[in-house]
Amino acid sequence: MADRRRVNGPVGATIPPVFEDEDVQVQATQRTTRSRAPNGIRKMYLKTGVTPSASGSAYLEIETSGKDGVSGLKLSCTVHGPRSLPRLSPFSPHIILSTHVKFAPFATKQRRGYLRDPSERDLGTHLEAALRGAIIADRWPKSGVDIIISIIEGDQGRETSGAQGDDTWDMMNALSGCITVASAALADAGIDCVDTVAGGVAALVRGSGENDTARIVIDPIPSEHERIEAACCIAYLPARDEITNLWFKGDMPDHDMGIYSELVQQGIQASKLANRVLVESLGETVK
Amino acid sequence: MAPNQHVLLSPAELAYLHEALSLTPPIRPDGRAPTQFRPLVAETEILPGTNGSARICFADGTEAIVGVKAEVERTRGYHGDDEEEGGEEKREQEREGQDEWVELTVEIPGYREDDASTAFLAAMLSEALLADGGFAKKLWINRRFHWKLFLDIILISPPLSYPLPLLSLTTHLALLSTRLPRLKSEGDEDPFFDDDWAAAPYLYPQGTATTRPPITLLVMAVGRNIIFDPTKEELAVADVVLAVSVGEAATDASSTKGKGKAPGRSLRLLSVRTVDPPSRVTPPGVPNATNSAYGIAASAQKQPEARTVEAQAVEGVWRAPRGGAKPAVMAALVQKVLERGGVADEVLDALDAVELG
Repeated sequence: MADRRRVNGPVGATIPPVFEDEDVQVQATQRTTRSRAPNGIRKMYLKTGVTPSASGSAYLEIETSGKDGVSGLKLSCTVHGPRSLPRLSPFSPHIILSTHVKFAPFATKQRRGYLRDPSERDLGTHLEAALRGAIIADRWPKSGVDIIISIIEGDQGRETSGAQGDDTWDMMNALSGCITVASAALADAGIDCVDTVAGGVAALVRGSGENDTARIVIDPIPSEHERIEAACCIAYLPARDEITNLWFKGDMPDHDMGIYSELVQQGIQASKLANRVLVESLGETVK
Repeated sequence: MAPNQHVLLSPAELAYLHEALSLTPPIRPDGRAPTQFRPLVAETEILPGTNGSARICFADGTEAIVGVKAEVERTRGYHGDDEEEGGEEKREQEREGQDEWVELTVEIPGYREDDASTAFLAAMLSEALLADGGFAKKLWINRRFHWKLFLDIILISPPLSYPLPLLSLTTHLALLSTRLPRLKSEGDEDPFFDDDWAAAPYLYPQGTATTRPPITLLVMAVGRNIIFDPTKEELAVADVVLAVSVGEAATDASSTKGKGKAPGRSLRLLSVRTVDPPSRVTPPGVPNATNSAYGIAASAQKQPEARTVEAQAVEGVWRAPRGGAKPAVMAALVQKVLERGGVADEVLDALDAVELG
């Protein structure tokens, strides 16, 4: 029975008015711009052996872009194993790899739940493909190894609004960090690999100006560019000159295949730079 | 893992298969040419309760159905500024879609829906669909409302081979046959639709040179050979497997008038993903020289197992591949998919021939 005696509010939700100040608008349109060279990656900090209870662990932090309020990527990875498989599992001639990537609930602007969502599972599959190529799997028959990565802080600028959909590009940056940190943790655990694998991202970006042409940059920060047209994330083994995982996303006409191969080349370049940091950090651990 | 399901092939069989596939031209177990697809049966609009649906059945018995359903939903974040400046053209510019307007789920019998491989398949299919940003735009009704599209992909047979190409082709057909009711209201009013289903326009208008939904092809390399639409057994000896999504480029005058018109359509590359090849988890063979149960080595009883594994590669003895793929091989795979008049063209032509309705 509807209440007819009182003056009721409108049915359904109402939205309070939003007033846009002049100042706010100016701030919103002002983007931080990329100050690095197009072929330079951000500084990163990598340390192995941070978790004593795990057989191997590593921590990776990528610096902020120099602007306040932009958080960098922070990742922690633990490797448990190699350990024997449970009694009931079938025989395996190789080590069984299980990867687990999880954003901390507070890592991104949109809160993440405690259960892994499909995008995190997807990241785990990519990571598994990247690492399986690097590990010499047949040295450990009948055993398994768990690689667990928690992303403590995502790579998102705080001044950009939550509605801006550069989520997928953030995923690529996160994946390349995951690959690098997992590779360091695997080395720390003493699991034999053919080479250290590192991740790198390259993107085709377009500036805000009308006559800005698209250019290729490596290690892009999505909030620094007006538009990202295509990006690719690559896991690369430098000693063997081989790619173990390639993930390209974008929109590229078939007559632009030159740009595609350039993008892959730049991705390899980014991965080589990350690999240098990785090797140096592992060298320190050995000392 | 769907791609990594165990193949019951012995190391000797794997070595034989690998050798047959690396010959020039490769000899495939089912006698197909390297770029040939398996024959398939396709039909559309099989489910009357959906906005669009399709069913494809491959010759090996795998079968998938896709149903597309649409619902009207209120757009979030609309603050209701009613300034009526600008006309129709401004409205066209405002048309913008969000990726959340499309929800894609994959169901494969025998696998949990939160299994990593199922999530991987769903992510790959939706990534290709949303890559150009044009698809979500089609779902825009007005500034306050949009269509929410649910794509439900169900594999109704057990996964006898890696189901990616099957699911992608079925989704393609289902989207081609999708119709949304004709809008009768104007501007930002609450949407009001024509109840005549015959008047409902297609989501992808037909007969015009507009874009079509993308297709995802599975392609693998063995040695120097590039093989399309591999079966489960062929995947078990692959060196590298890629899933490549391509869409058809809108034919604009500028691109066609330049060079001498090549036959076939011009394609767009939308996404490339490496699929973890199941060959990496196949059991290795043991060469005679190190086999402690055979020949000279039989006398040397204390054979350390590690040496058996680390022995040099012997011809005809299977070893799971290590490492990744050379960048040149990966580039060749993508190039082959995008080739004009190549496989992607052939598949799109074949899908054109499927009559809608």
